[in-house]
Amino acid sequence: MKTSFQYNSQSSSLDLTPAGKGYQIQIGDQTLDAEVLRAENGKLDLLINHQRVTAYVSVDNAKRWVTIRGRTFMLTKESAGARRKGSGVDHAGGLAAPMPGQVRSVAVSVGESVKKGQTLLTIEAMKMEIRIQARADGVVKVVHVKQGQTVEREQILVEIGDAL
Amino acid sequence: MFNKILIANRGEIAIRIMRACKELGIKTVAVYSSADKNAQHVQFADEAILLGDAAPKESYLNVEKLIQAALDSKADAIHPGYGFLSESASFALAVESAHLTFIGPSADSIRAMGDKAESKIAMKKAGVPTVPGFEGLQTKAEFKKAAKEIGYPVLVKAAAGGGGKGMRVVNAENELGEAIESARSEALNSFGDEGLLIEKYLPAAHHIEFQIFGDTHGNLVHLFERECSVQRRHQKIIEETPSPLLTAKLRDEMGQAAVSAAKAVNYYNAGTVEFIFDPQLSSYYFLEMNTRLQVEHPITELTTGLDLVHWQIRVAAGEKFPFNQTQLTQRGHAIECRVYAEDPANGFLPSTGKLLQFIEPHGPNMRVDSGFAAGDEVTHFYDPLLAKLIVYAENREAAIQRMQTALREFIVHGVITNIDFMQDVIAHEDFTQGKVTTRWVETKFDWKPLGLANEVLIAAELGDLKLSQRLQVAGLGHEVYSPWKSQNGFRIGVGK
Repeated sequence: MKTSFQYNSQSSSLDLTPAGKGYQIQIGDQTLDAEVLRAENGKLDLLINHQRVTAYVSVDNAKRWVTIRGRTFMLTKESAGARRKGSGVDHAGGLAAPMPGQVRSVAVSVGESVKKGQTLLTIEAMKMEIRIQARADGVVKVVHVKQGQTVEREQILVEIGDAL
Repeated sequence: MFNKILIANRGEIAIRIMRACKELGIKTVAVYSSADKNAQHVQFADEAILLGDAAPKESYLNVEKLIQAALDSKADAIHPGYGFLSESASFALAVESAHLTFIGPSADSIRAMGDKAESKIAMKKAGVPTVPGFEGLQTKAEFKKAAKEIGYPVLVKAAAGGGGKGMRVVNAENELGEAIESARSEALNSFGDEGLLIEKYLPAAHHIEFQIFGDTHGNLVHLFERECSVQRRHQKIIEETPSPLLTAKLRDEMGQAAVSAAKAVNYYNAGTVEFIFDPQLSSYYFLEMNTRLQVEHPITELTTGLDLVHWQIRVAAGEKFPFNQTQLTQRGHAIECRVYAEDPANGFLPSTGKLLQFIEPHGPNMRVDSGFAAGDEVTHFYDPLLAKLIVYAENREAAIQRMQTALREFIVHGVITNIDFMQDVIAHEDFTQGKVTTRWVETKFDWKPLGLANEVLIAAELGDLKLSQRLQVAGLGHEVYSPWKSQNGFRIGVGK
């Protein structure tokens, strides 16, 4: 069974086959074996190539949080059919929220011409204010949010089209 | 002594203060916003009062509602914690006007230290070294002349400022005009006051502060220093005491300067005098005074053996602080790491979400002051501080080792934290050699998260199989795996 995970916008796959008491695992051209000694309360005790490894694992929809030897990784499981594109690629002129928060002000409206570096809107989170600025000269095509609205990280806020 | 104290704050500091109250036999009142109705500090208090909506000005910054809550609950004192209204002279006054006790310094002391230009003038008068510079300038020509006299680079900053707002570094004369204008407009926007001061900019400086403590009977002492140079965006991440840079002679001298600074504004209760320290010249300059309890107060508690919050409450109730300077000593070494919900690989931007796992480390001389537990929601409304991890050991080397272990054993899933980042900071030779300056994180330390090892990938996949499968068998349907819903003793056999 082949599974892929995204980490830092890179995809990695592994292929897992039940074997003996555990599994045989193929990652690229490497073959490893793993056995689960214990699995409870979000903690796994594993034997990977006969080395004892303790992992804390949490599952939240597609997200996987893994801590091994004090280092924490957030991976995203890729669904079988739909291969994900890199983030932001499908929204050439779209500006996404760099952090979750609340829209504090919207400075532009649809049809307005904007200059590179111009502040389009501001988001506030945890006492920090972030200015969302135009990456290039252009015209505001869509404004997806309004003042006071709560936004998620990576949510598209405004879309800028080419200047006429 | 007080019967009941209202804590006008949230998160770890509210809980820290409530612990002190409980130990002193004082009842506690929590206040909260609608976003915090299930928060740990609300659960920890004897009673809790809803202030209003999540926005701070509707809740934790709302003076009227806070005072009404104190009167309604028949509290006789208010502890402001840090942040929010802790350094608001008008809040301190409003508390006193309502015939309640403000646990902190007088409104006059807060006001005197609140204005950077005014406090600097007061410090010069008291003989406390200040950064070479000028206050009260108006015209560009005056600024130009001042900058020339000080020598570039210079710093132009808001007199009423704080938190890095209304502050500009100017490297040469041709940048000065624009810097003044932008700092002025930012100062006006943020603080409603366009007054600026100009001073020498020290690019490779350390931040060393002194805890001071006084009672209302005239006793005022310092409780040694804290080195707080590991910062991002002018905010501290890691603090330690003693500072690896100070000699006993310098410590005495700076401690005396801190006491003089506090005496100049008739200070009592807990406060902190911050200095900029230039390691080349071993010279120090007054930066500002924080007229409240600091986030990093626990490292002082561990090395002096004093409970600062106990004493804050006791001197506010009129008791004498029983120690003079010669009776106070420091022993061993303490370090604090602030665990923030933020992403160091992405400009330290905040991270929000539900805490799927939150496992605090335990061991000899490890202390965790935390405001969260597994299952809690980290929202975007407030400060991203999740917990403070504090360790104590016989010496600095052992304390660093202990902190490294404690950080590795602190498991947080659900939001991105700076735990891994801090492990790499304290392992860096610049940190072990005490060479970290306040701009080190931004200019010298190019941090990257670790790459993905095979075992992480395997654990993610096996966790998926084992942990989620188990839940379905246990009849919990398709809920996400929730580690705080313990199902002890249930295991799946493999390959049988």
